[in-house]
Amino acid sequence: MKRTKVAALLAAVAMAAVGCTSADEVGDRREAPVGPPMPKGAAEVSDLPAPGTDKSCGEPTASLRPDGPPPPPGDFATNTAMQRIHARGKLIVGVDQNTYQFGYRDPSTGQLQGFDIDMAKEIAKAIFGDPEAIQFKVLTSAQRVPAVKNGDVDLVVETMTINCERREDVEFSSVYYLAGQRVLVKEKSGFDGIRSLAGKKVCAAKGSTSIARIVNVDTDPRPVGIGVDGWTDCLVMLQQNQVDAVSTDDTILAGLRAQDPFTEVVGEPLANEPYGMAMSKESPEFTRFVNAVLEQLRTSGRWTQIYNLWLRDLLETPASPPPATYRP
Amino acid sequence: MGDCAVSAPTAPPPVRTDAAPPSQRAGRVGELRELAKTTPGVLVVFTVALVLVSILVGLFTAVTVQGRAKALDDLTARSGPLSIAAQDLYRSLSDADATANSAFLAGGLERAEVRTRYESDIAQAESALATAVAAREPADLADPRGPLAVLSRELSVYTGLVETARANNRQKLPVGAAYQRAASNLMREELLPAAERLYTDETAVLRADQDRAARLPVVEVVLGLITLVLLFFAQRYVRRRTRRRLNVGLLVATGAAVVSLAWVLVATIGVMANVNASQEHGSEQTDVLAQARIAALAARGDETMTLVARGSGKEFEEGYQDAIGQLAGDRGLLGRAQELASDGTVRDAVRAASAAQDDWHEVHQRIRQLDDDGVYLDAVDLAIDPGDTGAATKFDAVDNSLREAIVTTEARFEDEVGQASNALTGTVIGVIVLALVAAAGAATGIWQRLKEYR
Repeated sequence: MKRTKVAALLAAVAMAAVGCTSADEVGDRREAPVGPPMPKGAAEVSDLPAPGTDKSCGEPTASLRPDGPPPPPGDFATNTAMQRIHARGKLIVGVDQNTYQFGYRDPSTGQLQGFDIDMAKEIAKAIFGDPEAIQFKVLTSAQRVPAVKNGDVDLVVETMTINCERREDVEFSSVYYLAGQRVLVKEKSGFDGIRSLAGKKVCAAKGSTSIARIVNVDTDPRPVGIGVDGWTDCLVMLQQNQVDAVSTDDTILAGLRAQDPFTEVVGEPLANEPYGMAMSKESPEFTRFVNAVLEQLRTSGRWTQIYNLWLRDLLETPASPPPATYRP
Repeated sequence: MGDCAVSAPTAPPPVRTDAAPPSQRAGRVGELRELAKTTPGVLVVFTVALVLVSILVGLFTAVTVQGRAKALDDLTARSGPLSIAAQDLYRSLSDADATANSAFLAGGLERAEVRTRYESDIAQAESALATAVAAREPADLADPRGPLAVLSRELSVYTGLVETARANNRQKLPVGAAYQRAASNLMREELLPAAERLYTDETAVLRADQDRAARLPVVEVVLGLITLVLLFFAQRYVRRRTRRRLNVGLLVATGAAVVSLAWVLVATIGVMANVNASQEHGSEQTDVLAQARIAALAARGDETMTLVARGSGKEFEEGYQDAIGQLAGDRGLLGRAQELASDGTVRDAVRAASAAQDDWHEVHQRIRQLDDDGVYLDAVDLAIDPGDTGAATKFDAVDNSLREAIVTTEARFEDEVGQASNALTGTVIGVIVLALVAAAGAATGIWQRLKEYR
């Protein structure tokens, strides 16, 4: 192999010396790429601002205080978002279909299910008295903020971290789940946390806080961020040896680990990721209403029920609902 | 590199040693000139010229006829079957992708028929690919970006991804969906474009072979006329010098030359008519029908992908609309196929395909309505249900009608090309034999007159 390359090089030099053009012929011989392709939309990501540095909104998780318990289903004042949604007959919710145990498609039935899906159904139940009066729209991480801003969806419930950058565009509910960003690697890979991945390829969804945090880790060189559309695409790339690690919220990682027992979650959390439901800034009464429903879920034990159904076995720990903080 | 000549060291020019003294040479040439002026001299020149021209013209005509026969052989043995193989490959790959996606949409264990359809699509694609590869030179496969290299390399990667998706789906793991998306993406970004390029290339070769087989017989006619003109002058000279009206030998030669030219003309005109018919009633229609079938498949693939993407499948819905735009309407592929159709069976089949396509489009709009209204699972049911009202059945009706039409036009193509080959049977041998007869006739005819000068 080496010898033929040298021969080809000599031939090229010789031909260049006698004034012949053979560059094309040598170029045509380049190796073809082999092996499986990268998932659609996968690309190297760089130059993202570090998340959470924007403190302009004060405490980002402080949401609008509810006006007491939610009204009974259907009993809404005119000109409120709840009344408009009730008149339409269904709540339109942006969710994921790729995050195991949060929002995913059951391959045997085609139905969407998970912790986020059940949370969204509780909001539908509070508006209509029927948890199934709901239409799901599958969104990638990067599509979440635009979908709320354009009014394509009433609500986004999709493992979405609350921060000041996003609060410029959308309103968040109080925190309904508290996660932390960690790292998923293959077993026996020798990596023990994000700082051991200097210069290595690390996967996360485009438009997530996770990817922004990966490319801002101050190792030398920094980890190389690979952005994808869906979280399971990260697992595909890890299984196909196209990335060295996946780094995002422990909840999502646990879902990936459950699908591949030859992986492990390592390292201390890089940061806390408080999840909120996102909705339009135009209707603060809707945010107050959603917060009232969440308050009820916390106190009634329903939150713990849903947690136990989807996440308890996955995360191997019991948990209680995160407390809400409010601004006026 | 071919035109790159490295000049070899030049040897000194050889010294001429065989040149005769100038005076002697002039003498010999002069003698010949004198001889050519006498009647016997002219007759000898005519004999030599007629024999040479008859044989050479016979040979050249035989070679050009042989070239035409070769083009016809290529049509039956190479470009004809290969364009069909390329079209098969393109179609079976598109169908495999649409089938795998609808199996995924169905959820749970796919129905046995769906799995069988996918497997037979892949088997058909592999055998068509083997046909296409076998017909090429190894050099055509050397370029890693060439369509055959891409297809050979990526088809196994595609099936690997589909099987990984299936294994994960069976364990109810959502990563299966990600593998299915990766497979479909590989199909759409790499395999289908390569198959399309291969199909376009092979169709162009087919057209070139047809043009080669049906070109005007200019060379044959010019060559035939040269012999006849020469024979005409020979006969006029003989008649004037010998005062005999008829020379049997030269008449036989003329007869042979006329028969040869007429034979070549009749055979060639027959071939041209058959090849033009193979184009008009065969391959041209096959091409439009095949494109229609592929557009229908693309639309079906996008229809299922819109549902797989669930709410974020706008680009796929646009893909569906594009493909249907190409297919439907008077200016669309189905309209053009109807216009070109020259056979009752084809016309009926295309009409049936158009009607089924209209039905399918209506069902598609209902599917979109259901999905947009949030009744997702009903939309999926309508898209993949094997019952009479579902989009799957309507699409199959379009596909089957088009296949039926293609079978007819392909048969017509083979029939016409076969007839064309038959029309040339024996022509090469005939032309050579007639040329020898003409040469012999001319030689004996003039020889008899020449004897009178002894």
